[in-house]
Amino acid sequence: MREPVIYGPVGRVDYILESMGCGVAFLDYDNDGWLDVFVLSGTRREGPVAGATNRLYRNNRDGTFTDVTREAGLTRQDWACGVTIGDYNNDGFDDIFITQWGQNVLYRNNGNGTFTDVTREAGLLHQGTRWGTGCTWVDYDRDGFLDLFVSHYVAFDFQSVPATGRNPNCNFKGVPVYCGPSSLKPERCLLYRNNGDGTFTDATKAAGIDRAAPTFGLTALAADYLGTGWPDIYVASDSTPSLLFRNRRDGSFIEQGLELGLAVNEDGTEQAGMGLGLGDFDTDGALDLLKTHFSGDTSVLYRNIGRGGFEDVTLRAGLGVETRYVGWGAGIQDFDNDGLPDLFWATGSVYPEVEKAHPDYPYKTPRVLFRNLGNGRFEELVSAAGPAIAEAHSSRGVAFGDFDNDGDIDILIMNVNEPPSLLRNDVRGGGHWLKVKLLGTKSNRSAIGATVVAAYGGRRQAQAVTAQAGYLSVNDRRLHFGLGAAQAADLEIRWPSGLRESVKGVSADRLVTIREGEGVVKVESFGAARRMS
Amino acid sequence: MRAVLAACIVLLLEAPALPDAASHLGKAIRLMQDRLFSEAAAEFEQALAADPNNDEVRIRYATCLFAQERNAEARKQFEIERQRLGDRPGLNYYLGRLDLRANDFASAIQKLAPLEKDPALSDVALYLGVAYMSAGQPARALECLERAARQNPRDPQVHYRLGRVYSMAGRTDDADREYELYRDWQENQRVAERDGHECKDALRTQPLAQARIVCQRIADPNDSHRLILLGELYSENGAFADAVEPLRQAVKLDPESFEAWNGLGQSLFRLKRYQEALPALRRASRLNPQFFVTLTLLASTLHALGDDAAALPVLEQAHKLNPDDAQVTARLEQLRAALKGKR
Repeated sequence: MREPVIYGPVGRVDYILESMGCGVAFLDYDNDGWLDVFVLSGTRREGPVAGATNRLYRNNRDGTFTDVTREAGLTRQDWACGVTIGDYNNDGFDDIFITQWGQNVLYRNNGNGTFTDVTREAGLLHQGTRWGTGCTWVDYDRDGFLDLFVSHYVAFDFQSVPATGRNPNCNFKGVPVYCGPSSLKPERCLLYRNNGDGTFTDATKAAGIDRAAPTFGLTALAADYLGTGWPDIYVASDSTPSLLFRNRRDGSFIEQGLELGLAVNEDGTEQAGMGLGLGDFDTDGALDLLKTHFSGDTSVLYRNIGRGGFEDVTLRAGLGVETRYVGWGAGIQDFDNDGLPDLFWATGSVYPEVEKAHPDYPYKTPRVLFRNLGNGRFEELVSAAGPAIAEAHSSRGVAFGDFDNDGDIDILIMNVNEPPSLLRNDVRGGGHWLKVKLLGTKSNRSAIGATVVAAYGGRRQAQAVTAQAGYLSVNDRRLHFGLGAAQAADLEIRWPSGLRESVKGVSADRLVTIREGEGVVKVESFGAARRMS
Repeated sequence: MRAVLAACIVLLLEAPALPDAASHLGKAIRLMQDRLFSEAAAEFEQALAADPNNDEVRIRYATCLFAQERNAEARKQFEIERQRLGDRPGLNYYLGRLDLRANDFASAIQKLAPLEKDPALSDVALYLGVAYMSAGQPARALECLERAARQNPRDPQVHYRLGRVYSMAGRTDDADREYELYRDWQENQRVAERDGHECKDALRTQPLAQARIVCQRIADPNDSHRLILLGELYSENGAFADAVEPLRQAVKLDPESFEAWNGLGQSLFRLKRYQEALPALRRASRLNPQFFVTLTLLASTLHALGDDAAALPVLEQAHKLNPDDAQVTARLEQLRAALKGKR
């Protein structure tokens, strides 16, 4: 992965579109059990850039990747933003949907290593130029077919939005910069219902999505936040209240971000929502949320408190110490397999011009890692997390997954106008782990929307199968539970169809595949054993 | 927070900062005004190095650390001051809020509860409510937050917090009412911000008579923040006569507002209405004795009114705060010479 991800000019940003970057994805497009990588790309306003394209990298299973973009039929140079991966036609192969400034694109996986652009025939062409950002597959009506949710950032075109330096109100620390979202028009979200025949119908109005206030929408994350068995959709929104579309279980949603404590921070202040991490940091069996923001503000950690929704525990958790950087892709992931999910987010300024006048505000900044102390608090790891964390880039999208199948969580990061970073985790310490891969039968085949609660060592940790997280990115769909000293775990699965299934005493340090209604159908050992061999 | 700071540092002015410390203190305060907290903290550290026993410098430094969420460092500085000065309300206010951040809710309640009746600490009820809520005492939390909503009905945060507590208690109707109030006041702030931008643009690009029509949208006779903003915008654009009335209204609504008194004094000074400017600038300098610009204006006003003897110590204090300002240095020399000549 040596090709830079082109996104706007180098050393300056004239327009907001050039600043926002794009997502990345871990997927297994050829079903070989090894994670492949899909990296989105932008372009430049001045004209096409030679070699710039979205890229698909096939995992060579030896720590290296091969660029198979052209063979796969995925060559495209545009202003791509978000990606969601899922098997929308339930044929057993992962399909790809990407949002763009312009026209979004659906690629159907042909099952032979190639993809076909089926946007038109799927009925996903939209009118005019829109800036699609967040996108996620979600089976909101539980009919077994993945529907599609899309958020939008702002109404933008190069002609009507003033470039850097043209509007005196657009400056940062006194340096002229591009005009941010606040001077532009926010947008509403879209929902497409899957008709089950390869086509989609715009269900935005019927499902009540259009009743929510327009926001500067970015990452979209669908999951069963409230434990009802139905998927809700959360949208991180920049400089406007973030949205929680609560599933009303009748084919419609009601926006209740404020009522459930997820719209703003605990002071009631709107934040610049960018990326999202979903996990269970306090191992109480309920899904918590991490959201990243602009510099000068903290990332926010929302703890799930059940009926009352969520509470902002950012300061109590000790995250208030880190406000230096603009935060993007984020995750709640157990990097050291101690059974306690940690926090990570990538960072990067949006104003390359500013560091010339203010060296304290660099464009490229390090990654942020907080270790879970197990008492509701975290400590920031600076030098102890290794050189890859300290390395400075202007990063955006982040995906988490185990690309080398060695039993830990690795990190894929998009860097603006640089090659992506792939951070290989070489965790030591002997903590056990368990990976869970779900296959839906009545539910959508990808099991997107499922929640698994693993009970181990006196803890109950929830994780969800998602189709977008990080920042406009997609994680490994195999759920990874660090287990600490525990050598086995009991699993409770809430399938998207509503089925609940339990699997007791699953031994650690292996990947188990569970088919809906059938229990464990496959066990694979890898990790330490693989490394030793 | 400004009023709280005043509660901390009140009566500390008998011991002015040593010259080196004053210069760093002046810089630090200017940096704080520009929200450059880490740069301000560095200046405060230099001020403290030059004058380690200066309580005002340390308290301001502690509040700067507090603003940056450097909680352990802030606590250390506030504790030093508590040992030096005893249990002052302002110090306990910050220490209570630091307890809140450290999840020590019992200690936060212990420190904040006695402060509720202090008029300078108008948001204690809010934080006490948060502390009770976090400590698992929702009934007490509700009492405090309802009190906070009565005390600060225009604060969206109070309504949001109250709405959250009602939600958790299953009081949906009450929660919805508070969320609605939250949305209204948030919108009010947004509109004020937008009106401010439009007024600023109008003052820059249109004749004053037309700009007045745009700017009038900001004027809310019951909202000191909006009145101050309007006054400042007029003042920044040289429309000092227009700035006076909104600022006069603002000081009536919020007599503890440094910004309002300072803006009023400055506008009257620019209009050469020195007799009227004097009390306003005096009040502003009492509220924020380390603000360089206010001190220079006050000295100039006193000079204009013929009271050079009174102007001298004020200008000397300004010079201490910013010894690099050549204009003030020159004026100080002139003033000293003039006073010497008179003698």
